[in-house]
Amino acid sequence: MSVELKIVCFEDIFQYESGEKSRFSDEYRQFSAVILLDKQDMASLGVKDGDKVLVENEISKIVVAAKTSDDEPHAGLAFMINSVWSNQLLRDDLCNASVSGFKGITARVAPSQGEVTRIPEIVQRLRA
Amino acid sequence: MVGAMEIYMLLPKTNCKKCGLPTCMAFAVGLLGREKKIDECPPLIEEKKYEAKLKKLHEVMAPLENASEIGLIIHPEKCFGCGNCVVACPVNVAAEPTRCAVGLGPEGDKVILRVQDGVVLANNLKECRRFGPNKILCNACTATCPSKAIEFV
Amino acid sequence: MTTCTGCSLLCEDIELVLKTGAISEAKNLCRKGQGHFQALFTERTKPMIDGKEVTLDQAIAKAAEILKNARTPLLYGWSNSTLEAQTVGINLAKKIGANIDDTSSFCEGLLMERILNGKIPTCTLDDVRNFADTSVFWGTDPSNSHPRHLSRFSYYPRGEKRQKSYEEERTCMVVDVRKSATAHLCSNYYFRVPPEGDAEFLESILTVLDGKIPKTGDKKRLIELGTILKKTEFGVIFPGQRMIYSMQDKMDLFEELVARLNEITTFKVIPMVGHYNMRGFNQLMLGQTGFINSVSFRGGAAGAATTHGPEQGVALAAKSSDAALIIGSDPLSALPFGTARALAHIPLIAIDPRRSLTTDAAQVVIPSALSGLEAGGTALRMDGTRISFEPITESERLSDEQILTRIMEAI
Repeated sequence: MSVELKIVCFEDIFQYESGEKSRFSDEYRQFSAVILLDKQDMASLGVKDGDKVLVENEISKIVVAAKTSDDEPHAGLAFMINSVWSNQLLRDDLCNASVSGFKGITARVAPSQGEVTRIPEIVQRLRA
Repeated sequence: MVGAMEIYMLLPKTNCKKCGLPTCMAFAVGLLGREKKIDECPPLIEEKKYEAKLKKLHEVMAPLENASEIGLIIHPEKCFGCGNCVVACPVNVAAEPTRCAVGLGPEGDKVILRVQDGVVLANNLKECRRFGPNKILCNACTATCPSKAIEFV
Repeated sequence: MTTCTGCSLLCEDIELVLKTGAISEAKNLCRKGQGHFQALFTERTKPMIDGKEVTLDQAIAKAAEILKNARTPLLYGWSNSTLEAQTVGINLAKKIGANIDDTSSFCEGLLMERILNGKIPTCTLDDVRNFADTSVFWGTDPSNSHPRHLSRFSYYPRGEKRQKSYEEERTCMVVDVRKSATAHLCSNYYFRVPPEGDAEFLESILTVLDGKIPKTGDKKRLIELGTILKKTEFGVIFPGQRMIYSMQDKMDLFEELVARLNEITTFKVIPMVGHYNMRGFNQLMLGQTGFINSVSFRGGAAGAATTHGPEQGVALAAKSSDAALIIGSDPLSALPFGTARALAHIPLIAIDPRRSLTTDAAQVVIPSALSGLEAGGTALRMDGTRISFEPITESERLSDEQILTRIMEAI
């Protein structure tokens, strides 16, 4: 079971604070490697708070923790904090006027049995 | 914020009146309003069967036990340090017309709210307009907080 | 008093007491600023070549060698450096015929360009505090990104014409895809837009300003919004990343809205710049090259800018450069995968106070002083106001300006 979602990124002061202590800590990963999902989308996926999900698009794929969004219903839309995790899914031709349509992140989200993607793995992919 | 019903569920619910009130619900309300203390319920303290409930009751009441006389509770772990409350507080504004009133941190020490070490810190609470004989329902600090780090019981 | 360089508000009323290895006491610093300052003490970088610790002189010499021998060097970062350091950086780019760019080339520059070129009217944050009766946060959540924005300038403080402030004389509005912390503070005037829905929302505002009924959306609320905008004496719009990404090919429309508002009343725009001196870099570049970012000095006579365009923006330049100097930035974390990957495949020189994904991947690491704490200088606040600051603690580490000067001398 998977759902295609648009993902919009936002800023979070606590995640920022953690990043200023270290970009490499478990705490920073716990703040950053998270996707905020609408309740209905979570139900469709059969995931609950804290479950891992695979977020994948043509650019990359990452495993992050799912969390219920406390915003008003927004099925089809998810939120992630601006971080190295969200940037794995972001296309770099953002400011290309010839590209029409949504310029944020579109990705397929599915439940995952894996562990949350760690920094060393991301670095490995960047250097591969 | 804990409610009267939640507190009531942790009491003996026998309406024995040993606390001086007619019902356990009245005692729950009294606890919430800090007119009663937990140890004014003898069965809860003395009878072993209520041990778990007593422990839980202390846990849920802990934030209130820390609350000041005017009922202000600060959750520093939620605070953004944004200074909205520092600038909105009418006592702060009156005390620091060239500082807090116009968005800056205070210079003196007559203010109620200030940001220290990244989060809000309260002082001089007796100056708060919610306190005293002419008290008003001022809610400048709670209404301007983006993260519910400041609240009134 | 100390100045915080944690964001582009550059708060100057910070009182800080340091002790060995930690902050002893800090006054008026928001949580973000506190985090920024305590970074003085964690994961500080050391001079490195190929992962091994070396002397500073060796690292600088190696950096100079890499840049000297590169055919298509890229100099990237800049928004966390002082004007003085940025000036040396631009001179370095001219000297070695490098491509120079900062993050504004991704999208946010689209707004900055129009403001700096006078196409969109702007004002200072002090004007906002003194005169603004309507503040509109569009695609941005200052409570999380610029925590003291509302308390110092845009909603809560008193000002010359706004003595009754937020209680009676100021309105705060938020237009955003999600109900952020800031949106909760002005929930009466929170307008949710769907992703990519900003243009349609903007068209609706233009419609109500013309006294017509919009075709889509909550018509009643939009008409009310139109009324508030028309009654505004001095309005300010603060667009952030989410708005600019959404409107990137429709910025003409935004320009049209601002112009239309100014036919009715006064409306200004201030960009919600993230890093403390991105505006400084854009203004310096504009003055020296005629462009706010993305410039290559390659092939031109010394000092002359030769090319500006998408190819000179970091997204494409990363793929065509054979070496890069990264200063005060962590592009391997902060840039999209494709660009980060391209940078990870070329020799990198990282000038940074702290360890990051980029410093880990860099061939050369040069430790720098933290601006505002260990090194002084000047920067431009998000509204262009010049703010100067002195260091409050001594450090063995060189400032960005000093490091860049030494590199230039060695080339």
